[in-house]
Amino acid sequence: MPASISSSDSLQQLLTERTDLWRGRQRCAAAAIPTGRAALDACLPDGGWPRGRLVELLPERPGSGELELLLPMLAEQTRQGRPVLFIAPPLVPCPQRLSNAGLDLTRLVVVRERKHALWCAEQALKSGLCGALVAWPEGRALNERALRRLQLSGEHGSAALFVCYPPGCAPPPSLASLRLGILPGGEIRVLRSRQGAAGSAIRLGASNVVTLEAYRRTTTV
Amino acid sequence: MARTALWAGIVCPQQPLQALLRLLPGASFEAEPLAIYELQRGRRLVVETNRAARMLGVRIGQRLADALAVAPALHTLTRDHAAERQLLEEIALSAYRYSHQVAISGNGVVLEVGGSCRLHGRLETLLEALDAELNSLGLKLWRGTAPVAAAASLMARAQLQVLTLTELEACLRNWPLKRLMLPTDEYSRLERLGLKRLSELLALPRFEFERRLGRGLLLHIDRLLGRAPTPLKYWQPPEIFRQKIELPVPTHRSDALLFALNRVLMQLQRWLQLRDRALTGLKVELHPEDPGRGSELHAGLSQPGFQRDKLLEILRLKLEPLKLDANIGSLVVQADSTNSFRPPQAELWGESPTGDSWEALLDRLQARVGTENLCSIAPCPDHRPERSWRWSEPGTSTVSAAFPERPGWLLPKPRPCKINELRLIDGPERIESGWWDGHDCRRDYWIAHDRHGNRLWIFREYKPRTGWFVHGLFG
Repeated sequence: MPASISSSDSLQQLLTERTDLWRGRQRCAAAAIPTGRAALDACLPDGGWPRGRLVELLPERPGSGELELLLPMLAEQTRQGRPVLFIAPPLVPCPQRLSNAGLDLTRLVVVRERKHALWCAEQALKSGLCGALVAWPEGRALNERALRRLQLSGEHGSAALFVCYPPGCAPPPSLASLRLGILPGGEIRVLRSRQGAAGSAIRLGASNVVTLEAYRRTTTV
Repeated sequence: MARTALWAGIVCPQQPLQALLRLLPGASFEAEPLAIYELQRGRRLVVETNRAARMLGVRIGQRLADALAVAPALHTLTRDHAAERQLLEEIALSAYRYSHQVAISGNGVVLEVGGSCRLHGRLETLLEALDAELNSLGLKLWRGTAPVAAAASLMARAQLQVLTLTELEACLRNWPLKRLMLPTDEYSRLERLGLKRLSELLALPRFEFERRLGRGLLLHIDRLLGRAPTPLKYWQPPEIFRQKIELPVPTHRSDALLFALNRVLMQLQRWLQLRDRALTGLKVELHPEDPGRGSELHAGLSQPGFQRDKLLEILRLKLEPLKLDANIGSLVVQADSTNSFRPPQAELWGESPTGDSWEALLDRLQARVGTENLCSIAPCPDHRPERSWRWSEPGTSTVSAAFPERPGWLLPKPRPCKINELRLIDGPERIESGWWDGHDCRRDYWIAHDRHGNRLWIFREYKPRTGWFVHGLFG
């Protein structure tokens, strides 16, 4: 009967459109932002960074690779004219490195205060104007409620949203759609994912390496 | 056709009451008896009351002590002439959009509307627009029209629309003299003479009138009827916007302060429109009721413009962490503005520009974290890595050249390290610079691995002293 076919069609359509539906191990076709690395895209459950949803990064030690992991995507966002926000980074992001990676520094905004980090993140997400937002909040500010608020404000826009935990901070149970552990040497481990692909790991070491050797070669040519 | 002058008059009934109530939030004193009093010849007299007070028997002209005896629960406020003047200026500011001839005369505002008729098509549309503008003030106002300025306030008080001189004379002739707003002693003199209506006064021979009643009264009557010109001092919006408000009820509550500020911002909005200016910053001074140190709020805008709700939110954010311990008695608002402002033009095809919301977001963040904490980062032309970057204003970082490869993270200051725990991987890169500014250095930069597998950017210092330092992290 045509009527029943159309109703099941619309149901199917609803099921595929709703990205917040969790249907067992089946992947939902969530919009994803390419990470800029084909190997990583293949490894991530959504085929890229999920849009408008929280991704938690757990570096084992400070500066063990979270910036390099995100740089290709951040650069692409600024190239498309969307601003990128760094909220309370623990160290100084080197402008020469960012610029070399293709990031347009005029589109970068850094909030240097830790106390209001989550509030700033929330405001920026609610405006729906950011391309990507990376926050390094204090460990004690990161409770379940704060993360839920962040997740909800992330849904206002289509920004890629990352929260970096301080090393040694036990992450609270949260709604994050993806949780990645970052080990020194560029190894990325999927610790938790809505699609149940936890446990897989990828080594990005090779593409992360920047050697002085390489620099010397490029300057002599 | 010769242009006929027509004056619109606007008066504010219960002016002393409305001037104070407009600064108080919500329905304060709506249901409670309230009287405004003034010190006159050493006696405190009630000059205005609200409905609830009248129901209890409080009358205008009563002594305050008597009024309190009649109604012990009566709230009292002192009459504030400055606030009344501000109220009239607020009305004048709104009226100025419709005429360049605006004057504050007595206790009303008059404006010449005959000249603006053609712009608006018909007189009715002009008056409707004026009424709509006055309604947006949120005050109870009466409006009337008259062909002469002197009679416009009288017509407003009676809410009459009179267009021609003959009509005006016919109307005024039958009025009792009491309604002509004559000075009190003049009025009582006329009453003693047995004169009650204007027609009786006009029936007197002019010469006799002038000899017995004085030239002043005759001139006044002539002006009312349009037989003599009325001198007026035209009002103009001020060159700079600075307003001081005495709060009728001192408070430390931020919502009450914001209500009064909102009132000022509404005026500021009109002022900016009239003066063709854009706001760049706002300074609010809060003065406590008792002598003491006040506080100041500054709100800067990253882009000249004006959006009242956004500005109000910024002020709210600044006001909340202020922790006012004393009651605030008065506010001073001062606006910094650009000289000329061209509003953004809408697109001919397609959507309207969405433009400034990113700037609005930055303003909001800046209001909370402070100007110095909201920034971008820019490279500096210097070989020494610790001097090769600086914090800059968002959106101003410019990149002029390609750079050598650098680690993603820099330590704010190089930190000493022990070389025997590290494994050198690559290097060295010699950096020798700075002999001219007293921060001379000679360094060899290396990439090293620590025992956890992190890649570090370290250097060996030769020039001031020898040692190994970590300067950055690859990650």
